[in-house]
Parts: sequence; C-alpha cells; structure tokens
Amino acid sequence: MADRVETKTPRGCGAGVGEKHLIDPIGVAIHIRRPENPAAIGRFAPTDLPRGLDVARHPLVARILRDRRLQFMLILPNQIIFWLVIGIGLLGTAIPGLNFATAITWYLWFCLVFVMMVVVGRAWCAMCPFGGFGEWIQRHTFWKRTTSNIGLGLKMPEKLAQYGFLLSVGAFLLLTWIEEFFNIAGPGNPASTSFMVLGIVASALVFFLVFERRTFCRYVCPLSALIGTVGTMGSVAGFRTRDRDVCLSCTTKDCMRGDEDGYGCPWYTWPGSSDSNSACGLCTECYKACPSDNIGLFLQKPLTSVVAPTRRRADVAWSIALLFGLVVYQQLNALTPFGNLDTWLNNHTIFPHYPDPIAYLGIIVAVALVMAGAARVLQALFARDGYTPSTIGRTFVDRTSSFRTYFLPLMYGIIPVVGADYFARQLPKFFQHVPRVPVSIGHLFGVGTTGSSLYKASLISSNAGIVAVQVGVIAMGTLAAMWTSWRIAGRDIAPAGGNKRVVQLSVTGFALALGIVVALLYVLMNAAD
Amino acid sequence: MTVVESEIKPGPSGRRHVTVLVDRCAGCQECVIRCPSGALSMEPVTWTALANDDACVGCRQCERTCPFAAIEVDGPLALSARMDPKNYQPVELRGNIVEIRRGYDTWEEAIAEANRCLACPDPTCMRGCPAHNDIPQFVAAVRDRDLERAHEILSRTTVMPDICSRVCNQAAQCEGACTWSLAGAEPVAIGRLERFIADHAPVPAPLRGEANEYAVSVAIIGSGPAGIGAAWDLIEAGASVTVYEKDATPGGLPIWGMPDFTLPDEIATRPWRQLIDAGVDLRCETTIAPESIDGLLEEHDAVIVAAGAGVPMRLAVPGAELEGVVDATYFLKGAKSALVEGGDPSDFKRELGVANDRGRRVLVLGAGNTAMDVARMARRLGLEATCVDWLDERNALARPDELAEARHEGVDVRFSRTLTMLLGYEGRVGRALLSHTFQRDAKKPPVVLQREPDQLDVDLVVMAMGYRVDGPLSEVLGAVPIRKRATGMAHGSWRASGILKNAASAYNHHSPVGSLALDREVGLWAATMPVRERLWVVGDALTGPSSVVEAMAQGRRAARALLDAHPTRPDRSREFVSSHAARVLVCYCSEGGTTKRVADEIVDQLNIQGARAQARSIDDVGVVELAQADVVMVGTWVEGLVVAKVRPARAMREWLEALPNLGGRRVAVFCTYKVNPRGALEEMSEMLTAKGAKVIASEAFAPRDAHASLRPTKPEALANRVADRVVHAKAGAGSH
Repeated sequence: MADRVETKTPRGCGAGVGEKHLIDPIGVAIHIRRPENPAAIGRFAPTDLPRGLDVARHPLVARILRDRRLQFMLILPNQIIFWLVIGIGLLGTAIPGLNFATAITWYLWFCLVFVMMVVVGRAWCAMCPFGGFGEWIQRHTFWKRTTSNIGLGLKMPEKLAQYGFLLSVGAFLLLTWIEEFFNIAGPGNPASTSFMVLGIVASALVFFLVFERRTFCRYVCPLSALIGTVGTMGSVAGFRTRDRDVCLSCTTKDCMRGDEDGYGCPWYTWPGSSDSNSACGLCTECYKACPSDNIGLFLQKPLTSVVAPTRRRADVAWSIALLFGLVVYQQLNALTPFGNLDTWLNNHTIFPHYPDPIAYLGIIVAVALVMAGAARVLQALFARDGYTPSTIGRTFVDRTSSFRTYFLPLMYGIIPVVGADYFARQLPKFFQHVPRVPVSIGHLFGVGTTGSSLYKASLISSNAGIVAVQVGVIAMGTLAAMWTSWRIAGRDIAPAGGNKRVVQLSVTGFALALGIVVALLYVLMNAAD
Repeated sequence: MTVVESEIKPGPSGRRHVTVLVDRCAGCQECVIRCPSGALSMEPVTWTALANDDACVGCRQCERTCPFAAIEVDGPLALSARMDPKNYQPVELRGNIVEIRRGYDTWEEAIAEANRCLACPDPTCMRGCPAHNDIPQFVAAVRDRDLERAHEILSRTTVMPDICSRVCNQAAQCEGACTWSLAGAEPVAIGRLERFIADHAPVPAPLRGEANEYAVSVAIIGSGPAGIGAAWDLIEAGASVTVYEKDATPGGLPIWGMPDFTLPDEIATRPWRQLIDAGVDLRCETTIAPESIDGLLEEHDAVIVAAGAGVPMRLAVPGAELEGVVDATYFLKGAKSALVEGGDPSDFKRELGVANDRGRRVLVLGAGNTAMDVARMARRLGLEATCVDWLDERNALARPDELAEARHEGVDVRFSRTLTMLLGYEGRVGRALLSHTFQRDAKKPPVVLQREPDQLDVDLVVMAMGYRVDGPLSEVLGAVPIRKRATGMAHGSWRASGILKNAASAYNHHSPVGSLALDREVGLWAATMPVRERLWVVGDALTGPSSVVEAMAQGRRAARALLDAHPTRPDRSREFVSSHAARVLVCYCSEGGTTKRVADEIVDQLNIQGARAQARSIDDVGVVELAQADVVMVGTWVEGLVVAKVRPARAMREWLEALPNLGGRRVAVFCTYKVNPRGALEEMSEMLTAKGAKVIASEAFAPRDAHASLRPTKPEALANRVADRVVHAKAGAGSH
C-alpha cells in the first residue's frame, strides 16, 4: 500500500465541501534534485524507436508478456531437451550421427542459435536452459516473484567486470579450443557433448549461487559476447522506454530494483538508457515491474543496434576483433599450410595433437591485431593534427584515446561480416547432417539406423553447392557491413578529421576487403577438401 | 548519548573517493538526484554517473540508492563531532525531580549541530520519524535562526515538538535513520534541535477554524497524545470537539506516567492548556464504557476512540497476590504526586509499605522505558531498585540513553533473568526467585534455563512489563489492536530512499530502523480508515502499547481522514448531508486493457450521474485514496484456464489481502472474463467482507459488454445501480 502525494495544505481550511485534508507528509519533505532530462532526451533521441514498432501495445501480447510463467514456458522445452542430451549422450549409442545428443546439439541447435541471433538478438537468452536452471535455483521458484535469493549474491569484482564481454570471449575461446581438442562437435562425440553441456550447467549454477542476478549471462557465458555483438543485427530492439521523460522522472526505478510484479533487470540494463539490444535478455521482468506501464517491446529495422548506439564500448570492439579471429582460425585450419604449421608446432612444443594452443591463440590474436592495425592506419591517415578526444573514461570500458576513436566504430561496422562468417561456418554441418536429427530421435525408439535413407540424406550434398550458399551469405553480410560502416564512419569517425567521403569510403572499403577475404577462404577450404 | 565508533575505514589516502562502476552504471540518475552534496552529475557521452571527489561528503547515500550497486565510496565521512550537552547530574537524588537531559542553551550550539545536517534531498530521517516531520527543513530554519518558520514546518506534522523531543526514542526513529547513522556514524541530534525550537519559541496554539453550519461534531474518547492530535486538527478545521477523559487531569500517560525529570509537568500540560483555550469541550472524570460508544455515535457525527492501552500486564507467578506487589500505574501516579515540589513522600512510602523502618528494596519487573521510570522514581524516593528483564540486553526495549542514565543513578538492571516465584512472610513479599534465561535472537522469545535461580530479598515488587488494551473495548471495536507489521514488499519510494538498504543502524544497537519505520506506517494506515462507519480508533487503543509520537500522528491522521470523509449522523439536515458529493474510487487490475476500459466506462457514467468518480490501477491505490472514497469499486480480470482454476487475478487477490480494515465502506465488485467468471466475484466479495467492507453490487462482464451499442451497456448499468445507492440516496437523505 502506498501513500500518495497531495500538495494542498489542510491548515486553516474549513471542514467544508471537497477539501483535501489528507496530505502525505513524506511527499512534502522530498526535494530530490532534478534529473538531467533534456540532456538525456537529446542524447538518446537518435536511438528512440517509433511507437508503432512497440508490439506490447497489442493487448494479447501485453497479456502474454505480463504472465509470470512466460519465461518458464520458454525455458522448459529446452530444459527437457538438454537434460535428455546429457542423459542420452552418456547412455546412448557412440555413433555421433545416430546419438540424439550430438545430432540435436551440433547439427540443429547451434545453427538455430545463430539464426535467432541474427534475426532477433538475445532470443536464445530468453529461453536458455543453462541460465534458466541457475536462475530457478537462485530464485528458488520456477516463475513466481520471490523476495529472497539462494546463494551469496556477490557483485562481480569491478577489476574483472570492467572488461565486460571480454570475459565471455575468453570463455568462448576456451570452450571452442576444448571442443576442437576433444573433437566434440564435428562429426561429434556424444559422451563429450554430455560432459560439455553438464559443465556449462554446473558452472552456470556455481555463478548463479555465488553472484547476484544474471552475472553469469552478462559476463561469463561463452555465448554471451557472440550474441551481444552479432545479435545487434537483430530486428528486436528489446524492452525500451515508451516515454523517456516518464522514466527519467521516475524515482522508484522498479524496473531495476524489482517490485511485487517483476524482478529488477537481471542483466543490469535500464530500459530508460538502453540504446541497443546488446544487453537486453528479453526476460520481460522490467515490463512486468514498471508501475507506469511505460515499457514496450520494440521491433527495429535490421542492423539498427549496430549503427545507432552513441556509446561505443571498447569491450565490444575487442570482442568483435577476437571473435573474428576465431572464425578466421576455423577457416584457416582447413587449409594445408595450416595443417603443416600445426604439426610443426606440436612437434616442437611436445603437444599431442591438433589444435596447438600457440597456433590457436596466435592466429586469433594476430587477426585482432590486424584489425587494430587497420584502425591505426586510418588514424594515421585521417586524424587531424593534435586531435585528442575529450577524456572521459576511467576504466577499460570507456577510456578514450585517438586510437579508440577509430578502432571502436571500425569494429562495430564489421559486425555483419563477422556474423555472416560465423553463420556460414555452421552451414555445412546443417546442410549435410540435419536430416540425421529425426533419425537420432527415431533411434531412441528403436527405428532409425545408420542404414536409414534419411541418415544418408543431406539438404545440399555437393561441396560446390554449400560453398555457393556460404559465399552468398558472406556477400549479404559484406553488403550489410558496408552499409553499417558507411553510416558509422560518417557519424563517428569522420568528425576526428579528414574528408568525410574519403573516410567513409576507406572504412567501407575495409569492410568489403574483409568480406572478400573470408569469401575467398571458403572457396579455398572447398578446394582443400 | 551513546557514542558509536565509525565503522567506515578511511581510504588509503584519507580522502574520499567515489568509484562509479561504469560497466554496471545504467545512467538512471538515482544517485544524482539524491546526493546531498551535489557531488554527482552525468557524463554526457557514456551517460554514466560522474563523481566529484572534492564535493563528496562520504555519506554513502549513493551506495544505498543505486539500483545496480554500481557506485562505491571510500574514505572518511566529512562530519564534525555531535553536540551533546552533558546531562544534569543531581548531587542529591532523593526528592530531586529536576529534568536530567539538557537542550542547547545557545544559538551557537544549535547552529553547530544544525550544520551537521546534509539536508538530504530524499531524507531518510523523515521516513524514520513516525510523524514524518520535515526534518531537513526545520533544521535549515534553525540554521537561519528563524524559529517561527521552524515551528511552522513542525506544526504541519506534529503538535507536540516540546514533548516528543524529550520522550521519543530518536535513536530508533529519526536519528537512527539519519543518513550519517546509516553510514555508521553519529547522526544529527535531531531531537535536541527540535527541543531547541520548542524551548526557545513557544509552540503555536491551535488556530480555531471558522465554525460553520456544516462543521462536523466529533467525540473523542481519551485525552492522551492520540486524543490531543485528533482534537488539534479537528478544532483547527472548525469542528465541534468533545473530549471525554476518565481521569481528573487530561493528557494521558505523559501526565501520569512520565516522571518530571524526563518530562516536566509544565511541558506535559501545555497542549491541553492550548486546546481548552481554543474551545475544545473537555469533560474530565467521564468514563465512556465501551458499550456506550453507539450512544455517542447518535449524538455526534463521528467518534474517535483514543482510549489508550492502560491495563497493566501482570505476571502470574506464585506469590503475585502477596501484599507489596503493585503495578506500575499505581506506583508512578503515587510517586509523581508524592514527589511534587513541597510534597512529602513519606505517606506514599508508608502506603507502599516501604517506610524507612520497614525496608527499601524494590524489584521492578521489566526493563523497558516504564520500568526505567519506575526504578528511577524509586531511587528518588530513597529506595534501592533492581530491574529484571528476561530479554537479552542486546534486545533491550528501553532507550539506550535511558538505560545508561538509570544505571548511572544506581539502578541495578539485570537482563536474561525472569521472576519465577515470590516468597512472602506473614502475607507480605520478602524474597524473589529469579531464573536465568537465554535469548538467541531478537525475533525469538527467550528460553528459561534449568539453572539454580538467583535469590533476591525484596520489600516491594512493581510489575512494569507494559500495558495492554482493555479487553471489553477490543471486543466492542472488533479488529483492534491490529498487528503492526508491514508485510510484502515495501513501496518503491521507500526502497529507493535507501532507508532499508542499511537494515541496521549502528547508532541504535543495530536495530533495523527501516523495517521498524515501515511497521509504524501500518499503524498510520489503520488510523486512516474507520473501524466502522463514523468510528475511528487511534493510538495505543489501535496498535497496543506504542509511542507518544505515533499516537499523536495517528490521531492527526484520523482527524484529517474524518474531515475528508465528512461523516454525518442520521438526524442531520438534508443540506448538511448533500453538501458533500459522493466520491467513488474504481480500483482495477487490468492485464490486456479490457478491465481498464470497463473501469473507465463505469467512471464516465458515474460522473454523468453526479458522483465524483475516478479510476486507478490497484498499483496506484493507497490507503489515502481508499479513505477518500465513499464507495470503492473493485474490478479485475479473471485468470485460469476456461474452467480450471478460474479466479480473480493473483495481483488483485494479493492487493485485497493487504488491504486495511475497510470499516463498513460500501464496495461494488466486477470482473471481466473470456469464457466464464465462475466464482471470481464471490471470492472477491468474501475477501472484501472479511476486511469489513459492505458489498452492495457485483457484476461480471464479457468483452462484448463494453462495446455494446445498446444503452446503457452493462458496465453503465452497474454504474447506475451504484449511483442509485450513493448519489441519489445521499440527496434524499436527511428528509426523515
């Protein structure tokens, strides 16, 4: 129950008609400072979305989003599937193509995650069974709003937290290396797949019990950085404010603190300042908690969250560079010269077999450094004499420098190429093996063997066909990257110096060059096969 | 005053440093708008908080208020030492009733203390004060040497600053909730500043409001702090006020129960001198039996019961019936009159059986504030006093300073002991057996240990364990005393203020000042709503034994709610009744928007019919809104699956569950459904009836009902029915 603010004073007024005698003395005594509204509204205006794109205006959608069971319903099927994966991977057949665990995880799920990433954003995060499991335990409920949590509820130490997505990138690099080392993914190893999933669930649970909210998802989850960067291409902007003035004058911030109807944002995002979909987990908690019904679920044009944000983050930029390094590594490792390098390194570092960690990290870091080098070149070419950005940053995330003025926007611009590259990389497995998923399900019930016609079938059988699709995907990604680079260069890079058109052309040319390189690599990989 | 060492460790350089965790900072400005020193602003590019270390005073308000815990402050607090005048130390205690605690004598002292106040933009001290005094503003007035303005600010929320500043346990209220206290340091001496104002400028008398023909007539039963608060606001609003007091002197417990060395008689009697001058009709030595309340309701438009909780609790131990076992009320009243200037205590001591030749050892049962008063009075009568309490000392009920003062005056206070038997000689008490107890934490009652009990020779036993509400009164009034415990989640504004963040104030023995303050709000809410039509209950009679300031605040709250509700006794003239348009509050719980649309339609129709109606989401309905409505309409959507578990929405059920007693308020219920409402309306009606509401209409609407082209639509028809009952009935009333 809440006391309300009435401003009229009752002193001396007669007991006559319609006088407001009840005033809230608490309201009278509060003199909070004015928030910096005009600055905020101006700053966020470019990222505001038209009211028509708010799907939560539809009563049925509103009703679904308000239902506390929504996220549980999204998580539950995935929860069942992944516990089946764990069980069947350990107990089922050792033939990867026939085991449900490997078939569903590597032939279907991984591709679907990429599709959801590119089309929606953090759709997977809303239904993720790993975080979902940890959260159920942390909140000791499946969907209800509880007020006490299980676990220590610590904050991520700032020394680590300032590196943002880079922790997640580290986890992704580690997991990918493990996956390559034990050959878990392709063609797959059912038992190892189980252990890997179990490992993720267990580490998620540990983080959920030690830290508060979704610290795991925001900082540590191996997929978080990838979804947070590539997912910005998606067409769902996430939960945003409907009227920023209302959010700025709100003095309770139930969307961040939580109230009876919803938890405070588990992702440390405030709908009032959210300018991209990068850190919105689509969990609907803020929508439920808002006392002013001022939060909507907005759609956006593809690539909006790549271009629009005015706050460029260093952790995101370095994440893109490193993630690009990883996918390029995965392309290079199919080529003969790489095989020779890996064998040579293994022989000289007494490492048992592929992938040699030095080659692995070396190539990834080298690619990232090439990206940084490109930014350095642009800086040397265009930065006007004595250009120094205003110093605002205090930590890794938001420190400023002349180099960062070029590097950060440059990396944001190439997000579509990186995204397309990852997507293309998953395609062969999908096209060649996805018909095995129904076979593996049938196998559980005694129908379906390696002899089944479906088992041998593939959506596209020829290498050339697959490469054509891959090159097509890269071409689309490159076009998108050229568009985003052009826009970003014009707004964020050109003001630092140089002719605007030349700067835009150079940055866009860089995106095009990357597209051509990765497309060529796919062609070469095919030739190597 | 207890002095608590600062728990904040100075930063490495001894300077303050604010760290904004930029990765978590979402730019919501919660810290910026609440920083007392203006040390925070927004960084325009990254849109994160930007701190100016030089302006920071180290109060940690930002840490308490940040929703994401994205800001950290290191370093010492910029705070000077608290100005605490030393207590008066009597050379000879016997017969000395001079006030012990001292206020500030000079402006310099007061201003030095006032300068310690940060004037927090969202002051937690004000939430900690049961009356919600605007502390930063009156402290600022002291700083400006403007006592008239200070009194004007205080008078908005309190009518007894002189009394409260002396008897309040500030450490558990305003001072415990001071931002410095929440940061682990010594709070501003708010009580002493309030006292300075009252000591150096007279408390303004009530301004009698202009009495007109529409003035309500109110009877108040009891003249204690709750009665004073209620009478004050009513007389100021021009009401005709009659106060019935069973004792010969008005004023209640502060008059008979509080010793002069804490609250001088001159101060305690001030409110009633002013109220009588303002025209309150005071009838002393008039006892109103609980069953005569109905009779009073026939004579007056409304009755406020402020009868207190005056029945002393007695411990039923073997020997309790012996001669020489008395209760605190008897002892305090007797001692107070025996110790007046020029009085002779020997008669009273003889009456107690502790004349000088008979023995002088007094055992006081309890170690709360009343017990302290009894023991200190006993010391002034020249007796030896021992207090025993079964609680652990950490959970002592007495004010920390009161306990220290009592001990200083030679009172032997023993915690973790309980009386198990009194032994007598020739019918008079002679020895007490005190068992040892153990209390693990404050929420659990202590357990009695099977250890050899202490034996104590005693000549007099005073039972001072507290009071309770008179049994017959509770029976007549129904749902009182209430349980003063806030349940569910605190309102966002409380959580955002930061008062709940540091749950425990180091200054007040780590008591959870925030949740204590929230519990007190329950008392205020309950005082706002009548228990029955035209009948309000306030103060200790409502909540059980509580504090002077709470009683006063509840009295004022009820008076204002009463003025707002404009109750009328049945024989009033038609003009009197219809002078006040019927107000209808439509509270809805809507998910997809259908229920909201129906609510809006009902409101429109009610307004056409001459009512003053408004629709509000249940999230926005507080007790004040409910109190301001003559009729409440409650509407919800219906959850469930076609036929299974079809019920009113959970949010609505929880809201209904948390409602205070509605005191006979007329209520109409409605719901919107897709397939079948099943028992939803009945369930809501039952819940509302259990809260003391009278359900006058109910209706379920299918979605098409709101869009029907036939007039009136079903929602409009419901509105018409309700209007018939309230608007038109009101217009026709008084004709008989």
